Amino acid sequence: MTKPLRILVVEDEMTIALLIEDMLTDLGHQVVAMAMRLQPALQEAETADIDFAILDINLDGSLSFPVADILTRRGVPFAFASGYGSTGLDPAYKQHLVVRKPFQAQDLERAIERVA
Amino acid sequence: MDGEDSLSETAARAPVFPGGGGELGELIRNFDWSKTSLGPIATWPQSLKTATDIVLQSPLPLVMLWGPDGIMIYNDPYSVFAGQRHPRLLGSRVLDGWAEVAEFNAEVMRVGLAGGTLSFKDQELTLHRNNRPEQVWMDLNYGPVMDESGKPAGVLAIVVETTGVIVAERRRAAAEARVSHSEERFRALVNATSDVVYRMSPDWTEMRALDGRGFLADTESPSVAWLDEYLFAEDQAAILGAIGEAIDKREVFQLEHRLRQVDGSVGWTLSRAIPLLNEAGDVVEWFGAASDVTARREAEDHLRLVINELNHRVKNNLAMIQAIGAQTFRNAVDLPKAQASFTARLQALAKANDLLTNEHWVDASMQEAIQSALSPHRPDDRTRCIIAGPSVRLSAKTAISLSMAFHELATNAVKYGAWSNDAGKVSVTWQVEAVDDVRRLRLEWRESGGPPVTAPDRRGFGSRLIERGLAAELEGEVKMTFEPEGLTCRVEAPLRAPESE
Repeated sequence: MTKPLRILVVEDEMTIALLIEDMLTDLGHQVVAMAMRLQPALQEAETADIDFAILDINLDGSLSFPVADILTRRGVPFAFASGYGSTGLDPAYKQHLVVRKPFQAQDLERAIERVA
Repeated sequence: MDGEDSLSETAARAPVFPGGGGELGELIRNFDWSKTSLGPIATWPQSLKTATDIVLQSPLPLVMLWGPDGIMIYNDPYSVFAGQRHPRLLGSRVLDGWAEVAEFNAEVMRVGLAGGTLSFKDQELTLHRNNRPEQVWMDLNYGPVMDESGKPAGVLAIVVETTGVIVAERRRAAAEARVSHSEERFRALVNATSDVVYRMSPDWTEMRALDGRGFLADTESPSVAWLDEYLFAEDQAAILGAIGEAIDKREVFQLEHRLRQVDGSVGWTLSRAIPLLNEAGDVVEWFGAASDVTARREAEDHLRLVINELNHRVKNNLAMIQAIGAQTFRNAVDLPKAQASFTARLQALAKANDLLTNEHWVDASMQEAIQSALSPHRPDDRTRCIIAGPSVRLSAKTAISLSMAFHELATNAVKYGAWSNDAGKVSVTWQVEAVDDVRRLRLEWRESGGPPVTAPDRRGFGSRLIERGLAAELEGEVKMTFEPEGLTCRVEAPLRAPESE
């Protein structure tokens, strides 16, 4: 297992956010921030003390790419999560890892190992 | 010398009559005139001979009707007109020769021999000159021919058939009528159709006219600015490509494309133009019709959006079911209970979906979302469940989260709280207040009259869903308090108007 990470979860579906939190906790990590809409997500991405982030692409109609830009600038590794699969990804972000919903804890673990 | 002798002999005798005169001259010379009222040719009066020479030498079709019987003497041009009646007509009485028009000729004879003249322009007659009835038109001019005594002895007729001219004229008139009729029908069609009608120069550089029919702006005089007038810059290359192909192949142009409507907004048209060719096969113009398919395209686009959205929601719902299942079973000690709880949560999710489907997934009323979540759990006694608050619209996603949270509160109340005995009550009340231009929602779930409450040792999925999940969903504060008289859950959050589509 990788070293314990401090993680931001950006996910607009309440139950899924909680599931991700559980999975990450089970993997030995700590979810230090959770955001379900674009505005709080932008704020957390800018200020939270984090090592990694999981970003849902579609946040109740808004795309989370601006959040990805902030993380990239800060040098925080992240992975996208989406029900669209990689087809929903803007071409500018194609190089980033996408975890497809629904996913298992191992999928998250692999994503963290590859990116973080 | 024999030759000179015979020449001088010939010159000495009476000259051959008639001299020359082509085929008819020959026929007249050899005809046995003694069987006619004119008598042998040698006995003809000079006036008849002179008149016969005039007939034979004329390039016009001439016929002479001599004497009271109207004995016919004519020339080569007339023989062509006479058809198969020739040569029987020669020397016959005009009333016998042209029996089918005897009445007409009797009148001619009467007038002519009385010294009068007759002229008919494009006279229509039905003749049987080729053993079948023919409708013919002729210019007929008749005048008397005098004998030596100065009295009319015959009638000279100039017969010019104008049938060809008349038929051509009639055909032209009929064709004109047809064209005119077809143009009228075409105009009627153009007026009847709701399609835009347009005309383009052979290479499409110039639009000659466009009747916009309220869909597009009209172009009334030739314009080379049509491209920018009707087409958006980003669409022009593709449309010009299709036009170029049609020009090269000289085939029908057909394309469904975007364009600028008369009000400047984006529209869609199915445009079709055909090349009009001249006799040489060159394109002289393109004639086109463009129908307004904007509504259909919008419906298709909308359908595509709906399908994408549906696909997204289905996947999202699967992920949510996965999440609910994982959360329900993760710490379960009693499997049958966990299964019942899982099913109840799925039912709550399904009900929330129903609610939003009724509202077309745009937004939902908070009142309805709460009522729908509580209805499977609350007691029949309506006074034990009070829901009151002003009208608040929620986004689809917020409505689902709120429904799930209230499902958890309700199941908890049924198991351990106010709805677990016969008397306890739940009241759900909320207010909306404006603080610094931001509308804030204050909502309270308050249980009373249930069994004495103690805070649980361990927070389950329901508690986490409410306190952590709903708080994040609403971007506000959610606090559950286990007070002795019952559980209280307070929500305080900014209220954002659901985003319109």
